[in-house]
Amino acid sequence: MSSHSNPSTAATPLDLSKWRSLPTRLMLVGGILSLIGLLVPSYREQFSFSWLVSFMFFLSLCLGGWFMVLVHHLFDASWSVPIRRVTENLACQVRWMAVLFVPIALFAPRMYPWMELSANHTPDHALHAKGALLNIPTFYLASIFCFAVWWYYTTKLRFWSLEQDRTGSAECTNRMRMLAYFGVFAFAITLTLGVILWMKSLQHQWFSTMYGVYYFAGSVWLTIATVYVITLVLKRQGPLREVVQETQFYFLGSLLFAFTVFYAYIHFSQYFIIWNANIPEETFWYVLREKGSWWQIGLLIVFGHFFLPFLTLLRIDVKLSWLMIPLGVWAWLMHYVDLQFNIMPILHPDGFVLHWLDIGSFAFMAGFMARNFMKDFAAYPAYPQKDPRFAESMGVYVAPASKTPAAKVAGGAR
Amino acid sequence: MSEVAIPPTLKIQAPPAELEREPLVLNERPPGWISDRITSVVEGKAPRWWWIGLSISVPLMVMLFCVLAYLISTGVGIYGNNQPIMWGWPIVNFVWWIGIGHAGTLISAILFLLRQKWRTAVNRAAEAMTIFAVMCAGIFPLIHIGRAWLGWWLFPIPNANSIWPQFRSPLMWDVFAVSTYFTVSLLFWYVGLVPDLAVMRDRSKTKIRKFLYGLFALGWTGSNRHWSNYEKAYLILAGLSTPLVLSVHSIVSLDFAVSQLPGWHTTIFPPYFVAGAVFSGFGMVLTLLIPLRRLCNLEEVITVRHIELMCKVTLAVGSIVGYAYGMEVFIAWYSGSPYEKFAFWNRAFGPYWWGYWTMIICNVVVPQFFWSKKVRTNMLVVWVLSIFVNIGMWFERFEIVITSLSREFLPSNWGYFIPTIWDILTFLGTFGLFFTLFLLFLRFLPMIAISEVKGVTPQADPHHPLGGAKPGGHH
Repeated sequence: MSSHSNPSTAATPLDLSKWRSLPTRLMLVGGILSLIGLLVPSYREQFSFSWLVSFMFFLSLCLGGWFMVLVHHLFDASWSVPIRRVTENLACQVRWMAVLFVPIALFAPRMYPWMELSANHTPDHALHAKGALLNIPTFYLASIFCFAVWWYYTTKLRFWSLEQDRTGSAECTNRMRMLAYFGVFAFAITLTLGVILWMKSLQHQWFSTMYGVYYFAGSVWLTIATVYVITLVLKRQGPLREVVQETQFYFLGSLLFAFTVFYAYIHFSQYFIIWNANIPEETFWYVLREKGSWWQIGLLIVFGHFFLPFLTLLRIDVKLSWLMIPLGVWAWLMHYVDLQFNIMPILHPDGFVLHWLDIGSFAFMAGFMARNFMKDFAAYPAYPQKDPRFAESMGVYVAPASKTPAAKVAGGAR
Repeated sequence: MSEVAIPPTLKIQAPPAELEREPLVLNERPPGWISDRITSVVEGKAPRWWWIGLSISVPLMVMLFCVLAYLISTGVGIYGNNQPIMWGWPIVNFVWWIGIGHAGTLISAILFLLRQKWRTAVNRAAEAMTIFAVMCAGIFPLIHIGRAWLGWWLFPIPNANSIWPQFRSPLMWDVFAVSTYFTVSLLFWYVGLVPDLAVMRDRSKTKIRKFLYGLFALGWTGSNRHWSNYEKAYLILAGLSTPLVLSVHSIVSLDFAVSQLPGWHTTIFPPYFVAGAVFSGFGMVLTLLIPLRRLCNLEEVITVRHIELMCKVTLAVGSIVGYAYGMEVFIAWYSGSPYEKFAFWNRAFGPYWWGYWTMIICNVVVPQFFWSKKVRTNMLVVWVLSIFVNIGMWFERFEIVITSLSREFLPSNWGYFIPTIWDILTFLGTFGLFFTLFLLFLRFLPMIAISEVKGVTPQADPHHPLGGAKPGGHH
């Protein structure tokens, strides 16, 4: 393993002072570009679609973080204790996603063709069939519902986690578990609802039972890669130096590998079943994405989203090596390309176009989210201080409280 | 795990008593006790319950062979399959048994790769269950092809009668998926058995036992080199088995999903089938192991914690299955396709409504009881609920196959499926085959991986007070 495996031999912290202002600069540059897109009427359509792609990208990170917290509590995991504050803070950024949703809410009538059809009462069988869901009031109410649910669960989970830092009480663990029990259902329902309303309904005629799972798989994949890189940086810089071991990186790497395969499996299954049945009501979605340079983008997803990370992560030692950093960056690129592939063919049916507004909106949101994440991270302890599984996650044996009232560390490491 | 130096600034406390984990082997039992207790099932006198079980399962198995003989000599017309339901019980039973055959390799391979130590107490029996379930499953497509003696035509044997299999048919993919899965699962099971077969050889008191266990133990001595090679082989087979676990039921799902039939053609089928398979597999593992841990006096090795963890997995995959059911119904509505809408309306309120609601209650409602720790720790309740899971998963396959075929696009082509006595006897007979093989396994092979369990005892941790390391000493 590389130098980050052992705190005693960990490399010295990097000088990141130059990078400290990067989020603000990204926000500033991205904000100006986005503002131009917002204000100049001829760019408004491009702006709204570029914004949607970036919005769905960062929403992936928040929901992925929430999912990792939920799974941690549901399975009473120990290995993920030292990184839980990272995922909790990532999940809590979802409250800002509600703010970032405002431009989408404003421009929705321009982006979603069904809204125009609905407003004009144009006869449309697909819309007629989906009318109970795809109508303007429901769109906004469902969006508010999703954000409310996300805000409630992510805030509450972090609240009890921080409370346990103070009290060390088992009650906090029980509360978090209870939130996870109901939260996992809320997660499945709201993620599916959100992705149907905001992405799938861009082509409201199309349907696929897999679509919610598809977005979920890509989102968790991206989140794991991101959490790996963040954890690595935080270990090197100090906040997680004492608590993150090789185990955490190994498991994150293994999960990234698993979700690399899972995403490919889900995407392939959806494509293959639609292709093989060859029903026009379904195939038109992929036909559009095989036109012009979208075909090459599709191939890039096949090779870049699956084969490259799959072959790279096959080796055990890669999961613990410096290669994980470029792979993390690659995961960001691939997930962004994947979202472009899903959203942008509506606006650019002839092929992939990387517009400056794509870069602008992405830069703004990246800066905005990074700033808020860092602010949150600085405000609270870097890892759960008194989690009951802390000893287990560190690989130390502690005599059970039931056997020795004055519990103490009985030995060194395994 | 790497060596960890705990900085003095870090305060690590024991978990509160109510959140302590139960050890994987109770009462700090020594290694010798573990060997004695597990091998006692094989070495001792066959208990009465074993003979009672065998006296039920063997006649059922014999009945299966008789039914199969009658079927082969007469033809598949003895079954209830008829236009429009040409896929009747045989395919339902095939998918059900194949699903059950998913838990073993999942426990052995995926949980091994995820370093889940609790798997050690249950993996051996679950793998055996997998192999026997796949054998039961394999019978159905073979007899359903009509001329079972020509089953070898399914394999791509060059130039045999100038016949080449139809590779575009998902049923052909099944042949390769299931046979590969069976082969690798068998190998995986056998490799895991080798150290324990050597234990059995060394403990044998009769020459014939010593010879046979010795033969299959492949000269195992327990040397470092043997262990090193064993660990490598086991890891490679775990890596190979993992995609196979997922691929088999995905391919089975494609039997349906690649068609255009309402209720079958849906993109979520592959992960939904895999989740369903794991769900039913864990259901059957619970059904088998809960009584066995009691009957074989293995409650200290297959602990309540093991059962609880399996309940949690069952709940997780059961909830995924519930999500898939919900998505199917939602997209049937969302698609705007009248055929899709009708297919699901027909499932819930058509002539097979009883099957649909049995499925929903058993697969969606019942697993939700596992949220409660009280339920998870009550062995009788878990056992009863696991049987509901088995029943529910059979009805799921029944609903998918029968309802979609019975009322497809043309009302003039609608029908109603009624199984014949031969359908029922064949299905019952496979239980005979399954339980006969399982009971024989219990008597002749150690049902728990002895060497693996020893490695997960609390005292196997060198820092445990009963472990080898001295306080503050080198580790």
